[in-house]
This record gives sequence, structure tokens and C-alpha cells, in this order.
Amino acid sequence: MKWIALIAVTLTGSLLLFGVGDFPEWGDPHSPANQGPKLKSGEQVSKAVSQDFLTETYEVTKVPNVVTAVLADYRGYDTMFETVVVFAAGLAIFAILRVFGDGSDTPPMRAVEDDTFVEGDHSRIIIGTTCKLLIPIIQLFALYVIAHGHYSPGGGFQGGVIMGASFILLAIARDLKSALDWFSEKNFMTLASVGILIYAGLGVLCQFFERNFLDYGALKVFMISSDHPEQMARSYSMLGVEIGVAFTVTAIMFAIYANLSSRGELKEGL
Amino acid sequence: MSDQFPILIVLAPLFGAVIIGLVGSRDHRVCMPVVLVALFTSLSAVIGTLTQVLETGPVDYFVGGWEPGKMAPGIHGPVEIAKGFGIQLRVDTLNGFLLLAIAIVSIFVSIFSIRRVNQKAASKTPQFYTLYLLLCVGLFGMTITGDAFNLFVLVEVTSLTSYALIAMGSKRRGTMAAFNYILMGTVGASFYLLGVGYLYLQTGSLNMAHIQEVLAANDFEIGRSKPVMVAFILIMVGIWIKMAFFPLYGWLPNAYSYCPSTSSCILAPLMTKISVYIMIRVMLSVFGWEWIFVDHVGWSDAVVILAVIAILAGSTLALAQRELKKMLCYLIVAEVGYMVGGAWLGDPERWGMSGAAYHILADAFMTLCLFLCAGIFAKKANATRIEHLSGMFKKMPLTMTGFVVGALAMIGIPPTCGFFSKFYLIRGGIEGGHWEFVIALIISSLVNVVLFFRIFEIAFFGAKPAEGHDHAHHDDEKDDHSTNDELTLLEREAPLRSLIPLFGTTAIIILLGVYNGQIVEWIRLTIKP
Repeated sequence: MKWIALIAVTLTGSLLLFGVGDFPEWGDPHSPANQGPKLKSGEQVSKAVSQDFLTETYEVTKVPNVVTAVLADYRGYDTMFETVVVFAAGLAIFAILRVFGDGSDTPPMRAVEDDTFVEGDHSRIIIGTTCKLLIPIIQLFALYVIAHGHYSPGGGFQGGVIMGASFILLAIARDLKSALDWFSEKNFMTLASVGILIYAGLGVLCQFFERNFLDYGALKVFMISSDHPEQMARSYSMLGVEIGVAFTVTAIMFAIYANLSSRGELKEGL
Repeated sequence: MSDQFPILIVLAPLFGAVIIGLVGSRDHRVCMPVVLVALFTSLSAVIGTLTQVLETGPVDYFVGGWEPGKMAPGIHGPVEIAKGFGIQLRVDTLNGFLLLAIAIVSIFVSIFSIRRVNQKAASKTPQFYTLYLLLCVGLFGMTITGDAFNLFVLVEVTSLTSYALIAMGSKRRGTMAAFNYILMGTVGASFYLLGVGYLYLQTGSLNMAHIQEVLAANDFEIGRSKPVMVAFILIMVGIWIKMAFFPLYGWLPNAYSYCPSTSSCILAPLMTKISVYIMIRVMLSVFGWEWIFVDHVGWSDAVVILAVIAILAGSTLALAQRELKKMLCYLIVAEVGYMVGGAWLGDPERWGMSGAAYHILADAFMTLCLFLCAGIFAKKANATRIEHLSGMFKKMPLTMTGFVVGALAMIGIPPTCGFFSKFYLIRGGIEGGHWEFVIALIISSLVNVVLFFRIFEIAFFGAKPAEGHDHAHHDDEKDDHSTNDELTLLEREAPLRSLIPLFGTTAIIILLGVYNGQIVEWIRLTIKP
């Protein structure tokens, strides 16, 4: 078997190396992906989309962060399904791991506490206090990352992961139970669906104004006091879908951790 | 309204999945109606789109309204939208019929699943149906998209849900098979993504039609560059892993035979077939017929030989199986060989590719029919091995009738669709000069005759008593009716919710066969413009 793997790896590697031969220069501003494919005679075959993305994004969407505009508007359909992928991953973990019942027949995950810490539980105090201080800051930062996705690097996926991590930190520092008190299973499974509903719902809302799915410009009727209603509608809708993404990612991050760390019983974590 | 049909096909099951995710856990009874409403909405949207396609030609839908050539309002006046700006959905006669097949198969399987899911692991029913609908979203989306990267995203949706559906069975072997499938599937998807990356590097676009335009410019000048060639190989290998083409089929038999019946009924007919469709789509709409068969002549011969090996190996391995589902799984490997070989025949009239496209539809329903029967046998009569089928004609005459139709189609006996797809494939093989493919097809049909008539014999005349039931294998599916001869026919026969999809499928198998000329003519509108 090792030989087969070796042959497969060698073949793939040499195939990739073979392809490198005709690559454009590293960082070449005239490469096909940057400026559009050209023939050897110098004739331009077509314009590259990336150029239009760079020059026209602010014009059309009033969003300074081009990456977010590509992600949430031009290719918002892709991003919606990426969120669905996250959602499906959480559901898959739930479907495979989650066990219902008292779970008394399975041995506990946590090793029996040894009595190294005799007087009080100093480690607990230090960790507990640090987490108490840190978690609100982490969550605030997560909200900042989500809300500023269309101005600066960030967005729903990143912010959602940070938000989910704050709950995971709580579960690690104290125990899964106290984390679940804050964020119960019913809540996170619902929140995951709500996230998708926000994203797809915004898209369908555009269809009610006789535009295509996810054509945020349709929502300009809600931008009453703006000079550029259509562009602002795009900008705010991007924030809207980012919030939807963040909901799903937060919920699923914690759901995956909770199910994995407790063997699907959601009783006692690591 | 009617211009929104293409997106509605994908959105209806998506919203269904979300609704089940929100309210399903409170009341499990809500799941089934939501699933059916969502899938019937999709079905009507598919029919609506397909009528438009047949009347006026391919239907395009630009998500987000980023239609090339149109003007988008900017702050300082309108801005023209360039090609490949947004994501395009495109329905033509090639994928229109496939969308219809997906809708019908998923509706049949959901009817078939009504009780089966509720009985076992009742507490996970809503999750099962959410995943089921998400799988349908992925399958519809993969078929309808006209964007190479969007295809990858939907491959992810489809794969993740199918891993979960396979692993949801209670058997440990199912989990292990799903894990193997995850490894192989991830490798396949990564290859595809890498290939798309290479293409983007050379063309600066992700839209399939746009890529083809760039590649074909000035007599394939860009198309001849090395990265494009590498991209083609990577994409093909990735898709071949996904469809279990010959040397890469290792994950399929276990994954499809150890999973719950409902999961195997939806996955076996659709997953490999959609991968074959993607291969044809990439060949036709991204690289183009001329690039593959005129510019790179030698490649098609090699692939056809691989396909011949796939057909022969699949058939031989199927002969060696004693378990019904395993046998069907190896038949899928052989059928994938038919389709890949057919698509690569390269005959100038493109009969091979048309035959492969028609066979996608035919095989989806043939496989569905046989897997539905296998599911019913396992559930109702506790029969998973071929010996267990002894006396089935007497015990369950209706189910067995359905099985016979499916089997005859698999063998290729007119008027079932299996005969006509083989007819077109053989025509392509002869016109393309690939006699080895023709011979492999005929041998494989003969092997199918042996396979299925062996089962008919056992089911009609009964097996030797020594090969009786072996209950140790399936203790989780308790059923004590099978040995009780005092039951009436009505009690022995499969329930109506299993028989409706089964007979629906058999009817479609025959209808597809009867109207093959018209359907193939429509499909050829896309394949041979």
C-alpha cells in the first residue's frame, strides 16, 4: 500500500510541477487573473473580473472592503451555501454523535480529580477570574469584527468563530454545564437555522421587489434618508447577511465543541 | 414570477430544511409535510423551467442581478457589468431533464422513508430530514449552476450531508464506511478545486461559458498552455473519485450498502449520476468538444480503456457478491464505466455522449428501483443476502414485480430504458471505432443476465434449505413476520408507502424507454448544437 501511495504522490507532484512551467510571474500585475487573459500577439481576449471588482465596487456598493463586496454581494450565492455547509457540518455532528438518555453506562470523560490542590482551588480561581474578565471583551471584539466586515477585514465567519470561541472558553474554564446554561442546545440549534433564514430571507425579500434573488439594490425602498439609496441598500444588506452568517457560525462552533467534548451527551465536557 | 423558477428549484428545499430545523424538534410530525411541500415546489419549478427551455432554448438566471452587459447603478452614474461578475444559473435540455429526475427521485424516496425514519432513532428525525433536504439543495444546485466555483461549494454541501446520512445508521460498519468516504470525497473535491484554481489563473474567470470563450480564443492559444492541461486532469480525476470510476471506486460499496435504506435509496441513484453529469458539463461547457477530442486526441482512447476495465471489473465483482446491496453497488461501478466510456467515445455525431446523458436518467431510475426493492426486502422480509430471497415471488409478488422490471432494465431488455441507453452507447462505440467498448457493454449485459436470473431462480423456485436465514447479521431490524406463512398476502406484502414509489419508478423506467427518441433528441439539442 505504501508503494501505491508513493506512486500517487509522485505522479500528483510531477503533474503540479509540470503545470507551474507556464505560470504567470509571481505578483505580476499583467497576469490573466489581474488584467485579463491576453494572446501572445498582445491582443486582449477579455477583461478580468478582478479589475472591475477593484474599480467599481465602491461605485456600485459603497463598501470600501472589496473582499466583502465580492463575498457577500457579487458572489453572495456562494457564501450562502458556505454558510449552509457550516450548518450541515453542525447537523452532521449532531446526527452522528448526539445520544439521548442518562448516559450512565458510559465512563466519565474527566479523569478523577487528584488532590494536588489542597487549600482551595487556586487554579480554578485564577482561570475563572481571567475568563470572567476576558469573555466579555472577546464577545465585544467579535461583534466589532462582524459589524465592521464591510469596512475593514472581518465579517460574519470570523466574528462568528470568535463569538463561538468565547462560549467554548467558558466551557473549558468552568464546565460544559455552565456554558450550556448560557447557551442551551435548543438555543444554538435554533440560532443556526435562524442565521440561514436571515441570509436566504434577505435574498427572497429582494425577489418580492421584482428583482433577482440576492439583488440587494431592490431594498432601496427602506433607505429613506440616504442620498444613494441603492448603494446604501447594498451596503446594509451585506451587513445583514454577515449577521446571518455570524449567527450560524457561532451556534455551530459551540454545537460541534459541545457534542465532541461530551461524546454527544451534553452532560460533562472535558 | 416565471423568470424566478430556476432559483426557486434550489430555494424551496433550502427553506424547507430551515423550517424543519426551527420547528421540527418540537413536533416530529411537521417534518414529512414540509419535505413534500418543498420538493413538490421544486418539481413544479423544474417543470416550469423545462417547458421554457423546450420552447425558447436555454434559460439563464443571474443571481444578484449581475447580468453581463446590463448597467448597474453607481454613485456617479451607471456602470456596465462585465462577464463573469456574478453567479449564473443555466438550464438547458441536458441538465433540465436531470433536474426533473432529481426532483422525482427525491419525492419518491421521501415517500418511501415515511415510516422507516420515524421508527428508528425517532429523536433524530428532524435532523435527518433537514440533512435530506440540504442534500436535495446540493444536488439541484450542482446540476443547475453555470459557475465552476459555485459547483465546488455545492459539491461540499452535497458531500457533507451525504456523509452524515450514511453515518446515521446504527451499524458501526456504516460509520467506518462513511469515514472512508469522507477521506476519498475530500480528496476528490480538493482536486476539483485545485483544477478550478489553475483555470482561474489562466483565464481570470470562474463562469463556465466565459472560461470556454477565453480558452477557445485564437484557435485554443490559451487552451494549449500547460496549466490548463493540468487543470483538466485535476478536475477529471477529482470528479472520477466522486463518481467511483474504476481505480477510484473503493469507497462506494461499503458506503452505500451499510447505510440506512432511505439514505442508500437517495444516494445510490443520484450521487454518482450527478458526478457523471458534471463531467459531461465540464467537458462540453468549460473545455469544449474540440479541445478534448480534436486537440488532445490520445486522451480519449486511454479513458475509454479505463472505462472498459471499469465495466468488466464492476460486473465481475458483482458476480462474486452474495449480499444484494453489495451486488447492486458493484453494478453501479460498472454503470459508471458505461457512462464515462460513452462520454469519451468521441464519435463525430456525438452519439456516445448523448447515450451517456440519456443513461444518466435511465440509470438513476433503474438504480432507484432496485435499491427500493432491496430496502423493502431488508425491512419486510429481513432478506439482505441473495439466498434470503427464496420464495419471494410467492411472499411479495408486487415488490418482486417491481424488482423484475428494474432488473430487466439493468440487463437491457426493450421496452425498458436500459435497452435504449445501451443502444445509443453501442452506436457511439461503433461510430467512434471503439470496439472494445462495444464488446465490454455486451459482456456486461450478459453478466447482468446471469446475476439477475440467478436471483429470479432463487426467488421463484426457492433456495436450498441449508442456506436459510441468518439472523445474526441484522439483529437491529427485528421482524418476525417473514417466516410466518399464515399471514395473508396483504400483510406479507410491502406497505403502500413503499409500493407507490416503487411502481412510480417502474412506470418511469418504461416511459423513458418508450419515449427515448424524443428525449434523446431534446438532449442532443445541447450536446450537438
